Amino acid sequence: MMHSRRDMLRTTSCGFGYLALQALCGQTQAASSPRQENLTAKTPAFPARAKRVIFLCMSGGPAHLDTFDYKPQSGKSPHPGSVFSFDQHGESGLWISELLPNLSRHADDLCVINGMHADTTIHAQSFLQLHTGDRLRERPSLGSWITYGLGTENQNLPGFISFNTSKASIYSSAFLPAIYNGTPIGVNGEDMSQATISDITGRHLPYSSKEKQLEFVQMMNRRHQEMRTNDNQLESVIESMELGFRMQMSAPDLLDLSSETAETLERYRVGKNNKQIGTCKPSDFGRQCLLARRFAEAGVRFIEVNHGSWDQHKNHRRDLKANCEATDAPIAALLDDLKVRGMLDDTLVVWGGEFGRPGLSPDKDKDATGHNSRGFTFWLAGGKVKAGYTHGKTDPTGSRAVEGKVHFRDLHATILHALGLPANDLTYWHAGRDHRLIGPEGGKVVHELFA
Amino acid sequence: MHRFKQFTLALFSLLHCVVLTTGSNAADISSADRDFFEKKIRPVLVKHCYECHSADAKELGGNLRLDTREGLRTGGVSGAAIVPGKPDESLLIQALRYDGTEMPPEAPLPEAIVHDFSKWVTRNAPDPRVSKPEPAKKPEEPPSEFWSLQPVVNAPVPAVDDSAWPHNEIDSFVLSRLEQAGLTPVADASPQTLIRRVYYDLVGLPPSYVEVRDFVSAYERDGESAYQHLVDELLSRPQFGERWGRYWLDVARYGESNGNDGLGRNPTFPHAWRYRDYVIQAFNEDRPFNEFVIEQIAGDLLPAESAEQRDRNLVATGFLAMTAKPAKAMNNNFAMDVVADQIDVISRGVMGLSVACARCHDHKFDPVPMRDYYALAGLFTSTETLWGVAGHEKLTAPPTDLHVLKAAEKVPPPEGFVETVLVLESNTGKPKPIPKSKWEPGTPLAMGVRDAKKPADCKLNINGDSRKLGKPVPRGFLSTLQFDGAETLTVDAATSGRLQLAQWITHPNHPLTARVMVNRVWQYLFGAGIVRTPDDFGKYGARPTHPLLLDHLAVRFRDAGWSVKSLVREIVMSRTYRLGSQVNETLMREDGENLLLARHDRRRLDAESLRDSMLAVSGQLDLTPPSGSLIRHRDILINLSGSLHQPSRHRSVYLCYLRNSPPPSLAAFNLPDFRAVIGRRDQSTVPGQALYLFNNPFVIEQAEHLANRLIQEEQTPTERIQLAYEQVFQRDASSEEIKQAEQLVDFTFRETQSNLDAWSSFCQALLITNEFRYLD
Repeated sequence: MMHSRRDMLRTTSCGFGYLALQALCGQTQAASSPRQENLTAKTPAFPARAKRVIFLCMSGGPAHLDTFDYKPQSGKSPHPGSVFSFDQHGESGLWISELLPNLSRHADDLCVINGMHADTTIHAQSFLQLHTGDRLRERPSLGSWITYGLGTENQNLPGFISFNTSKASIYSSAFLPAIYNGTPIGVNGEDMSQATISDITGRHLPYSSKEKQLEFVQMMNRRHQEMRTNDNQLESVIESMELGFRMQMSAPDLLDLSSETAETLERYRVGKNNKQIGTCKPSDFGRQCLLARRFAEAGVRFIEVNHGSWDQHKNHRRDLKANCEATDAPIAALLDDLKVRGMLDDTLVVWGGEFGRPGLSPDKDKDATGHNSRGFTFWLAGGKVKAGYTHGKTDPTGSRAVEGKVHFRDLHATILHALGLPANDLTYWHAGRDHRLIGPEGGKVVHELFA
Repeated sequence: MHRFKQFTLALFSLLHCVVLTTGSNAADISSADRDFFEKKIRPVLVKHCYECHSADAKELGGNLRLDTREGLRTGGVSGAAIVPGKPDESLLIQALRYDGTEMPPEAPLPEAIVHDFSKWVTRNAPDPRVSKPEPAKKPEEPPSEFWSLQPVVNAPVPAVDDSAWPHNEIDSFVLSRLEQAGLTPVADASPQTLIRRVYYDLVGLPPSYVEVRDFVSAYERDGESAYQHLVDELLSRPQFGERWGRYWLDVARYGESNGNDGLGRNPTFPHAWRYRDYVIQAFNEDRPFNEFVIEQIAGDLLPAESAEQRDRNLVATGFLAMTAKPAKAMNNNFAMDVVADQIDVISRGVMGLSVACARCHDHKFDPVPMRDYYALAGLFTSTETLWGVAGHEKLTAPPTDLHVLKAAEKVPPPEGFVETVLVLESNTGKPKPIPKSKWEPGTPLAMGVRDAKKPADCKLNINGDSRKLGKPVPRGFLSTLQFDGAETLTVDAATSGRLQLAQWITHPNHPLTARVMVNRVWQYLFGAGIVRTPDDFGKYGARPTHPLLLDHLAVRFRDAGWSVKSLVREIVMSRTYRLGSQVNETLMREDGENLLLARHDRRRLDAESLRDSMLAVSGQLDLTPPSGSLIRHRDILINLSGSLHQPSRHRSVYLCYLRNSPPPSLAAFNLPDFRAVIGRRDQSTVPGQALYLFNNPFVIEQAEHLANRLIQEEQTPTERIQLAYEQVFQRDASSEEIKQAEQLVDFTFRETQSNLDAWSSFCQALLITNEFRYLD
């Protein structure tokens, strides 16, 4: 039954596995008409724990052993482990490094996954896999899959925003309709304080005239499209013209931080810690976090903020410290604000990078590290995950995950699950088969992470 | 430096020890030693090392084998793995300690194991393994079976059932695949669609209303001859080189500044534009593609009959000097970073093969061993790269010489020109005086390369680190790429060897060069290549949808003297190219991605064509090529300068392509960053593009120019609207469209009380429609 229905839907047009999904889940949608691709908020397939995601993306491979995965020395001779000191924090007694004093206040909010593992130590490939599930080919990004599945709550803004972003492949909707593409704000490695959306305003015509002009353009576009059936591209442009037009109204206000108090700007360290120190690039991470809060409040579904690079091959201690300093207070402020506003409950915050790093021996001067994809750390907060909880572990030197192993595919499945989306069935028909974020291999939802 | 010393020292003492220990052999081993080896050493080697360092390894890492007694002692590219008796000097122990080299690469082994190994080496590394070491597997694999490395074959033109359909041989290849799949091509495109398509494809501009009207009536009389005439006329226009040169500039990662050096500095390349002009001219003159490639790789080594030709050859080598360099400061690998880019632009850009990974390890996916990388690298370490003064900032790159041109015109800065951007002291941030140039102001200069004074082979950089050197690798090309005639091309030791490389790459039997270029040309004309990954013909690239057609075109290309214009002409004359873009349910279902070419894919105008078209229809386009570039007299760091861009009425190819500071009138439509080869630009649709169309000053200006023209040339609203449709869409407006347009103009006039605003709003609306921005 399930199959025949899905097969029938598939043959009607391309790519609406999700329609089948919705139909299966008892949504009302006429099976004969293809799904209209749009950003309207959609009901999740089952009760959701979170409504939105803020992904704190730490590119370069954050050193898990010097941040969240504490490896004290054991045995007679020194071995690789943590070279910074750790303390237990909160009622949960979560171990957090001295480099993260502000975040330590939130120990009881964090759900630390110490058993992460991935397939490759090649930055670009692992970074792509973290974002899209695939190491090599351009595939829809996590944020695109989520907006495809859930739409977004604010029709005047994109459903997926990526701050201080790098390559387009990281926020691309790939073969998903282009309305699910991430909207980039700011360029990785450049000053975020000026970052805005280009051409967001224009004063050459009054609003009413612009509206009338848009109406005329869309009339032309519709007529043009009617003579050219089966072209998703043209439909996407029509949609993105609408969205772009509405963004002119809402985005400038959201990007303007002048309504925030000096105290807030200070808490987030907006414009602070904005110097290049070794691998640590000026990302004005505080500004990104504050903007993330504002866009989350405005109803954006998926927000990614970026800081890098955590790839401290040399000067490990100095550069790791700089990276932590640049991100610690802003992340703590973001969690504070989400909590105060009651939003932490339905916002899933995700922290992590493409892999971790081997540990250093505290008794040696060696200050260089490499890449390690066999064991590293992510943490989650909000979205009804277990708080003050540590899941999984690595071996005594932190070199590989040995318990509670979580692959990127499992993480993806878990994030989708938190949002009420079944990872196995969130599919899109493309190039002769159904595609899904977790790929043919599939990913397992880590149910233990949820309260 | 410190580490380097340590390393050479280790190698040195090795040589002694190998001699000293040759006496002891496997048979002499005591039972205690044997036990120790079997319990503590062998299991670890098997578990953690054999995967890459044994006879069974898929690719032997560093040419080092750890599965034999001798393997450990003879070692690999970095020398012997152990110095019996001296753990601290043994590379194996250093690697296990993660000291300099890091093994196993994933994570260090537990300290206890490292300790065992150290103890074992102290005891002279007793090793019971007796097997005679087989000769280490050479990194040179036999010629790969991989499709793209096979010789190009001239396949017979396939027979087709519908023999009336094909116009030329291309069509037979395409139709044969369609017939096998049980599919039928769609109807031919209308003459209106066809002329617009071929205009954009050949010259990157729209036809005029009159040109369309005349073509349509000629087409109705004799379609074939009208079309052939049109194609030949377009191929002869100077705008052809501007359109096709721009494609090559993407491949050549052409940029007029270095781009962010990683530390925020971005020096200009004030002479890069000469390379741009060279490329445009080459396409206009239809320079044979093989010669074009040779000039770019080794123009400085070619004989020249005149000063003009010498200039041209030198400018061509700018291809190798456009590197987006990371900062020199604190970067020991700087020189090898430049080499890496040069290898990349040649390997991916010309050969569609990725070689870059082999800088640090034998290539995991494609058959490129590390030795090959350093064989190529030797050609470029034997070459001086001339990028200029790098914004007078030594921390970003050391200043270099430039080619001084002999025949080119001397163009001094305009009277009273003073550099307004202050160069700042890097440590104090204070302004410093602009250093005086070593050349007279206005001396014609060019970026490029020339042979180093003492060409030499390059030593292998272990793990890609130029402080960890292995043995020198004789200069050469890619060993896995064998073809008839390749053996005659060897590096002349007295030169860098770039000329031989260029000859090797353009050898008629080279399996990749012609295939890669015909695929690029196909892609520019159809939107997607026969191989859909134009820069990657390797294992992870796409496979050709029409392998026989690809080879057929490659053979034709080569045999017709590598003429790009002939190739373009042959493709656009095919019926396949002239198909309509409508798609029916069957095709959508059976071939949604249009891999079999039963239709012509609809395409969006790229950034340059969109801007050029807006200028063309607003009447503002200036078709004369400008002289030089906005920054021709400015050796500065643009990160200190604010935006350097100026409004321009010239074609987009002549705008200033500064890296990390793209021309604002192009940036919204997936302009790449020009830091590496771009065979195919991204094509995403994002709301940012809509915002550009709504609000960008360039768009609004063009709308105003068009509006002014309507107001001046026509009196009645209907006539004005009619003229606008003729200008923008090269067609007449329908009566319904006229009515709707009048409503828009009236509404805007009531709101703004400005005639110009009212007509501008209408003109802008036309300029941002899909009809204007998409090509059927």
